[in-house]
Amino acid sequence: MAISLVKGQTIDLRKSDRGETFDLSTVTMGLGWDVRKKGGFLGKLFGGNEPEYDLDAVAFLLDENGKVADLGQTVQRPDGRRVGLYGGDVIFFNSMRHPSGNIWLTGDNRTGAGDGDDEQIIVKLESLDEKYQKILFLVTIYQGRHNGQHFGMIDNAFIRAVDARGREIAKFSLSGEVAFNNMCSLVFAEAYRKDGGWKFRALGTPQATDNFVDILKAYVYQ
Amino acid sequence: MAINLQKGQRIDIGLSRISVGLGWDPNEGTGHDFDLDASAFMIDANRLIPAEDFFIFYGNTDSPDHALHHTGDDPTGGNSEDGDDETIEIDLSKVDARVEEILFVVTIHDAVQRRQNFGQVRSSYIRIVDNTSNQEIAKYELEEDFSVETAVEFGRLYKRNNKWKFEASGIGYKEDLAYFLGKYYKGQIIK
Repeated sequence: MAISLVKGQTIDLRKSDRGETFDLSTVTMGLGWDVRKKGGFLGKLFGGNEPEYDLDAVAFLLDENGKVADLGQTVQRPDGRRVGLYGGDVIFFNSMRHPSGNIWLTGDNRTGAGDGDDEQIIVKLESLDEKYQKILFLVTIYQGRHNGQHFGMIDNAFIRAVDARGREIAKFSLSGEVAFNNMCSLVFAEAYRKDGGWKFRALGTPQATDNFVDILKAYVYQ
Repeated sequence: MAINLQKGQRIDIGLSRISVGLGWDPNEGTGHDFDLDASAFMIDANRLIPAEDFFIFYGNTDSPDHALHHTGDDPTGGNSEDGDDETIEIDLSKVDARVEEILFVVTIHDAVQRRQNFGQVRSSYIRIVDNTSNQEIAKYELEEDFSVETAVEFGRLYKRNNKWKFEASGIGYKEDLAYFLGKYYKGQIIK
C-alpha cells in the first residue's frame, strides 16, 4: 500500500473547475501509452525482433471493507483452456464483462499502437450496486518479467476519465518516474464513493509483479 | 488572548472539541503562491499510524473514527482574509482507542522547488483553539519563529490517564511532509 502526497490528483467526478456538471451515467476510463523504442530510428528499421508490449487493464470492484467479495469461478473455455476468476468482481481479459453489465473492458489491445486510449474500461457509475464502494484500476505488462519489459521504458502513459457525452473529466500522466524502473504493474487510479457522489484519484503505485493476481491477494477475504 | 506557549510547555485539555488552525497571507509579490499545509498523524503505541487513513492531510480529510476533519487544501492562503485558511477540527471523544497521540505539523508544499521558507510568508501562524469558548490555547507566529525553515512540528495531543493534554513542540525543520510521514508510516510514499 502507499500514500500519495502528490497534489491536484483527486477530483470530484461530478463537477469540473468551471462548475459544469458531468454526465456520469457512463464513464470511460481510458488508458494510453507509447512504448519507448530502443535504438531510435535505425533500431526501428533494423530491429523489430523484440516482443511488443502487451499492457492489460484490470479493474477490482471493492466492497465497504476494501475487498473483492466475489472472485467468480474457474470455467472451461470452448478451446479447452481453464480460466479462473471468471464472472466475478475482477474485470480483466478473461472476464471482460461484469455480470451486472455495469462495467466492462472494451478489448485487449496488444501493442499500444495508435494515439489516444489503448484500452478502455467503461463503467455505468450511477447504476453500480451500492455494495461497490471503490473501483481500483490497474495495468500490467503481460509477460513483462519474461520479456524484460517494465514501466520505466514507457512514455506518455496516462489515464483519463471521460463522461457520457465525451467530455474529459480528468487526465493524469504517469510517466517519467524513476520509481517505475523494473516495475511491471501499476495501480493507476481509483474511483470511490464520497458524499453521495464519486471521486477519482490518480495513484501511480508501481509493483514489480507482472501478474495482477499477486496484487489481488491483498484485496481478498482470507 | 493568545498564550504563546514555551516549547515543551504542557496544558491540560479539559474539553473534547478543539481545532488546529493555520493561517497566512497570499503572496502579493511575484513568484509562486505560498502553499502551506496543515497535517495530523494519529499515532499508536508502536509510534506508527494504525492504518493509512489515520494520516490526515489534504489528500485524506477524515479519519475513520470521525475524530478529525480537515477542511481541505488551500493552495494560496486566500481562503480567509485574516482567519484560518486550513483547519483541522478535532473531537477527542471519538478518537480510536489505539491512538495515543495526535501530532500536528505544518509544511510548505514544494518549498525546495519554489525556494520558499516561512520567513517569506506574511502573517503565518498555527494555533490551537478551544471550540467551546473560542479561546486560543496556543499559537506560533511562523515567520518570526521559523524564518529559515520549511516545516514545523507544532505540537501533540497525548493521552495520560484517559485525559488529553497538549504539548507544544515548536521544532522547525528544513524538510517536507514526506519526511514526517516516513517516521510514522512504513508503506510506500509517492512524492
